[in-house]
Amino acid sequence: MRLSLGFGIKWDAAVGGGVKPFKASGTLARSFSQAASSPQPFTASFARKQRLSPLSHNFASSRLQPRRPYSSRIMSTEELDKQPPQEVKKYLQQSHDRIFESNKKWAAEQKAKNPDFFSHLNAGQSPEYLWIGCSDSRIPAEAITGLGPGEMFIHRNIANLVCSTDLNVMSVVNYAVRHLHVKHIVVCGHYGCGGVKAAMTPQDLGLLNPWLRNIRDVYRLHEAELDGIKDEEAKYNRLVELNVVEQARNVIKTAAIQQSYAKSGYPIVHGWVFGFKDGLLKDLEIDFEGQLKDIQKIYNLTS
Amino acid sequence: MSLVADPLDRIFAGNRTYAERTVQDDPHHFSQLSKGQSPEILWIGCADSRVPETTLCNLKPGDIFVHRNIANCVHTDDLSSASVVEYAVAHIKVKKVVVCGHTSCGGANAALSDGDLGTTLNTWLHPVRELRRKHKAELEKLPDDAARAVHLAELNVHSSIEVLKQHPSIKRAISERGLSLHGVIYDIAAGQLRLLEETGNSKKSFGLWSPN
Repeated sequence: MRLSLGFGIKWDAAVGGGVKPFKASGTLARSFSQAASSPQPFTASFARKQRLSPLSHNFASSRLQPRRPYSSRIMSTEELDKQPPQEVKKYLQQSHDRIFESNKKWAAEQKAKNPDFFSHLNAGQSPEYLWIGCSDSRIPAEAITGLGPGEMFIHRNIANLVCSTDLNVMSVVNYAVRHLHVKHIVVCGHYGCGGVKAAMTPQDLGLLNPWLRNIRDVYRLHEAELDGIKDEEAKYNRLVELNVVEQARNVIKTAAIQQSYAKSGYPIVHGWVFGFKDGLLKDLEIDFEGQLKDIQKIYNLTS
Repeated sequence: MSLVADPLDRIFAGNRTYAERTVQDDPHHFSQLSKGQSPEILWIGCADSRVPETTLCNLKPGDIFVHRNIANCVHTDDLSSASVVEYAVAHIKVKKVVVCGHTSCGGANAALSDGDLGTTLNTWLHPVRELRRKHKAELEKLPDDAARAVHLAELNVHSSIEVLKQHPSIKRAISERGLSLHGVIYDIAAGQLRLLEETGNSKKSFGLWSPN
């Protein structure tokens, strides 16, 4: 992975050379609408997409462009609650319509770039990756990894948990491994995870208790290490990382992964953490083969 | 060395490009995100790689809270989706819940077949197969399997919304602050979202579901 990271930097630098940054003037929303109203060819991303798979051809540029053709301003919940009922209704209608407006625009853009874009996608999917991430709105997997439609199979739940009794995630893993034959499975957590924080809080959270119990169990498994960290934020960050490692281990414990790996040499399971501070992914460098061997001492389901 | 040598390189390279460009565009973007999230929409969609919600809605990180599973199912006994809904509706207080199905859905196709999908997927898709059984007549009238898959996906969206309506936090949010539920279908061949009409109601609200 270290090699691939180095490679990533080199590649990025080559691509970055031609990048013309967007004007960051005015408000975010304004610079977005500017970008939307004056579509400019994005040389750098064009170079990039040429080098990547044919699939990423058409949306790479638009994906990397900031855009938000919002006509209305986003109100905070507190602000909205102070509005008269008819204003609330209007606001809700607008925030609803916004998605459809944006979607129409996006679809038209893709079609303009490549008339076959959607018919190609319609023919089927063969993603290389399965992403198991958090539901948190700030981590749209495809956007932060620069991938486009058709490239990544995605499951997102509270705190990216993988529990053997959860039919939901197990169906996803099963389908991705046995039917789509994905090559990589990524469990991706993030610092500042609300789910992990809630699990560290001594409070009855009702319906969320059983789900978040899994994170408390991760704490218990690593109690000595975590208790040794005095700084609260450092402890919280470490729990986020350990949670990812444990969930990746849970993926490796499944029959689907063990059997597919024994037969074909894939998928490989990875544990990553996304940081809001710099927007970068951190590889926890899980030793997949080592973990697999370790896990199979007890959880061997290959025969 | 080919630039597509390792699929993981693509992700890390893509991520670096993303982080770099985002900071160039708005130096405070990430520091703002790290303060917290206040998305207005909870999206319950399919895990299918062709339906990345944030991309196809032309939105940005921080805009949509997301749960994606096989065939965008919400089952009454599923703790995962129930937890997502609880967190999004009771704690984050989203204003809209969108259930999005899509055309050529592998889950819908599988549910239309009688093939053994293995115990896990058989169990997960059982409710979708039940929908197929209940709506056998209308499904059979359709011209081909693709149309049947779309219709089954639509039925499944309605069914998920029915389950969501019974979630205690959703019930409360509907009466207390006007939360609304929306069923949509994403047409992969066209790249477009289509609102489903409200079921069992002559008042066509184009999917804008309202309890009143």
